[in-house]
Amino acid sequence: MTDETPESAADGGQDGPGDVGDIAGERAANLLDEVSRLRRQTRTRRHAYWLPLLLFGLLTFLSVPFYVQPTPSRIAAGHTVTSPVPYLPGFGGLARSGWQGYLAVYWLVAIAAGFAVTYLWYRRRGRRVGLWTPARGFLITGAVISLLVLILPLTGLVPGDLVIRGTFPFMIIAAGLAVLAWAERSRALTAIAVLYAGIALVASLYNIENVLFRLGWNPSASQWRLTGLPNVLLPALILLLAGGGAYFAQRTRRRPA
Amino acid sequence: MTAAAYPTNGLNDTVHQRHRLGILTIAAEAKSADFGYLRDALDLTAGNLSRHLTVLEEAGLIQVWKGYEGKRPRTWVRITGDGRAALAAEIAALTELVRRHTPARAGPAGQDGAPS
Repeated sequence: MTDETPESAADGGQDGPGDVGDIAGERAANLLDEVSRLRRQTRTRRHAYWLPLLLFGLLTFLSVPFYVQPTPSRIAAGHTVTSPVPYLPGFGGLARSGWQGYLAVYWLVAIAAGFAVTYLWYRRRGRRVGLWTPARGFLITGAVISLLVLILPLTGLVPGDLVIRGTFPFMIIAAGLAVLAWAERSRALTAIAVLYAGIALVASLYNIENVLFRLGWNPSASQWRLTGLPNVLLPALILLLAGGGAYFAQRTRRRPA
Repeated sequence: MTAAAYPTNGLNDTVHQRHRLGILTIAAEAKSADFGYLRDALDLTAGNLSRHLTVLEEAGLIQVWKGYEGKRPRTWVRITGDGRAALAAEIAALTELVRRHTPARAGPAGQDGAPS
């Protein structure tokens, strides 16, 4: 910042239009430019959303084994017995057999860990950079939605269409990212959150493999077990790509010219 | 032109000092900002920054509190509701001043809270 004082801008402006007023206008414009510069600089220093994007992308990717359907031979051999895991359709979908029975446990832990790690990440970064991002809303959003998802089935209220594929945790992540976009005041993260929410909704309501079938994918008998994976891999890919892009973009912008 | 209509009437003596405007701008962008960050970003000495913070705190535009991170003392600054309102009014007044006197630069950036 320079030592120029804005008082002179204001004082000059009191005389009304003319040369003095023009000088006041020019000084006011310089002040506004400086406000914009400081705002951009502060946001660039504060933005740190690459980590939650990569984290939730990775957690989604690691959930893939739970979405592999049991083999027909295991079904015939009686391996489809009801899972010992409690019925948590909001986290694990309606399937309760084989590995899929443990999907609910995986997501329950992954969502809790993902939201907690993200919150701690923003706290740590706030201390290191000297700028705090209000991330508590992100944590509360995750906790409230997760609690509702746990409680609602007990009352008989299960939005079947949304939870049937076991992809409702993506909607919890989307809600968290939307809150984070607000806290970060980031248009880029808002766009990512909206795109991801759309993909998460599609993954919850539609079998994305149908698109691949139309494009020519003709799975063999052994590949049929994997046909549910596009609904998981696509959201994971979106988050990983967005997180990687955000990491390099934020690193580039912070590098001194 | 009446005096009441002139945009400089919207300028707040406390806020429109360049460095104090900078402090409020940064504080409005975060939940709270560290003394060290403000000092570096505004290129001020610790003494100068302290004086500006005192003026803003006495006007009720910011809150200042001290704490420790391990053994290291740190001072944090948070903008108040009045501070946000004063900042918005200042930017509106400056924008209006620019609009009247430098038409070519009308409509500069500076809307508080707009996402980047």
